[in-house]
Amino acid sequence: MKFSSRTFRFVFTVCVLGSALLPLRAQVDVSAPGLPTVGVSLSGPLGGGATEIVSADLRRTGEIEPVGSSSGQYLATGVAGDSGITGQLVNKRNGQVLFNETFTAPGRKSAHQFSDAITKAVTGLPGFATSRIAFISKASGSKELYVADIDGFNVRQITHDNTISASPAFSHNGAKIAYSSYKSGYLDTYLIDVASGSRTRIAFFPGINSGPAFSPDDSTIALTLSKDGNPEIYTISTSGSIENRITRTRGGETSPSWSPTGDRLVYSSDDHGAPQLYISSSSGVTDMDQLYTGNSYCTKPDWSPDGKSIAFTARVSGQFEIGDFDLASREGHLVTTDGGEDPSWTRDSRHLVYSKNGRLYLLDTLTHKSLPIELSVSSCGEPAVSR
Amino acid sequence: MNMPRLALFLALTLALAACSDDKNNPNYGGMGQDGSALPNTGDQVGGSNSPDSGIPPTRPADGMNPDKADYTTLSNDTVYFDFDKATINGEERGKLVAVSEWFKANPGHALFLAGHADKRGTPEYNRALGERRADAVREYLVGLGISADVLYATSYGSDRPAIDGDTEEAYAKNRRVEIGVVIKQ
Repeated sequence: MKFSSRTFRFVFTVCVLGSALLPLRAQVDVSAPGLPTVGVSLSGPLGGGATEIVSADLRRTGEIEPVGSSSGQYLATGVAGDSGITGQLVNKRNGQVLFNETFTAPGRKSAHQFSDAITKAVTGLPGFATSRIAFISKASGSKELYVADIDGFNVRQITHDNTISASPAFSHNGAKIAYSSYKSGYLDTYLIDVASGSRTRIAFFPGINSGPAFSPDDSTIALTLSKDGNPEIYTISTSGSIENRITRTRGGETSPSWSPTGDRLVYSSDDHGAPQLYISSSSGVTDMDQLYTGNSYCTKPDWSPDGKSIAFTARVSGQFEIGDFDLASREGHLVTTDGGEDPSWTRDSRHLVYSKNGRLYLLDTLTHKSLPIELSVSSCGEPAVSR
Repeated sequence: MNMPRLALFLALTLALAACSDDKNNPNYGGMGQDGSALPNTGDQVGGSNSPDSGIPPTRPADGMNPDKADYTTLSNDTVYFDFDKATINGEERGKLVAVSEWFKANPGHALFLAGHADKRGTPEYNRALGERRADAVREYLVGLGISADVLYATSYGSDRPAIDGDTEEAYAKNRRVEIGVVIKQ
């Protein structure tokens, strides 16, 4: 991993010296030998399907190579039935049982839970097999809010409003989605309970009320309000009362995203020309710390769960690509080469879900490999991954 | 100077102030035209000293849906914008003078100013860009003597293109502020 990031930094530097930020190509094959191997074999009435789900989940992490049950450094076995999965993981080198646990979530979710437990035990990293994606689709003729599992299954339409739904964000506990909609005729922000579907309009000031993002403790929402005469970043409570104004410029500020510690926000501002990324305190109007990403047009930042980097959308030679800004080195580089926008991090701070031409993709930011997320609906955009 | 001329003068001054050339700003962050890399000034910009320049928006007292406005009567006066810009070009300003004249000749109305962006860029940024375009038209009309209380700005971002397609011509027609007429409540 260190090798790859150093390689990209070198290529990046060459590009900047050449005064043209060229798309980068993945140069490392991560499926190369070296990944821990896990043999997966589930029995029981749903064993075959569960084995497939778990193997796909583990491969998707980029950290584990699933193999047949007769080989592998680890062995994941269990019984899958209607009531869930009882599974265990054994380190074959020393015979140690790393866990033996029952996962009772309905349907495919118990297999995803087993996958995340394996990922955690083998790599120490959080898996994202149980994550869901909130997104907007125009498949029904109007832009409606949907959710799906991150592997593309279980697509569910949440709104049926025949208007424009926009910019969804999951709460960190996964129970709620904040999003914006023209349901009233104006761009207001709503809070929706995912399980019950009950909905509350929380921000409806004159002007636009859009682009909500939950604070890490889910108590506060950052969003764009134009009630002062131009779009500014504010924080509000989940019941809609103003907590803090964050920006005060003549331009437009959009797409706030919280640091994992909740003390800062990253957002885009076009106060000084084309949109750029800035970081500010989340507790009031302070100085804006600009992130020099190397790109002249940057929007839609998303702060990684580990706090180390910020993904964003960059305009490069008239195209839109996904960029990643490393906060330690304060350098940015592109992680796509053939288009993409609206990146959203997964729990492992390694993968991003993004949209391109109406489809959603899962990108590995280390290998720069992208795979389409196969959904049963088309015309998709504005994905947001649950944490 | 008679009153309309004074109003026009004020409007132009406002507009000039609003589009004061960012390139003269030592902290200017670069252009979007070709996507070339930027100079890195290393300075912090913006912050607590920047003034609010906008006029706080209003919604009609009855919460009327902007879709119920009549966008036909003044459809010839739709204002078009450059890519990623919310400043009103010189050749578009005559349309707003015509709108202000229509408005004064037809008392008892209010206007919706619906801002739009072309499809390029992230949808959320385009919502704010459409809003800034609508705000710019609103401020210009205020400068021409129309009360801000009867000018309702709204934005649809890139979600409601006038023309579908991926051509420069379609993009140019979609970067706009449409003007809708309603009977004042």
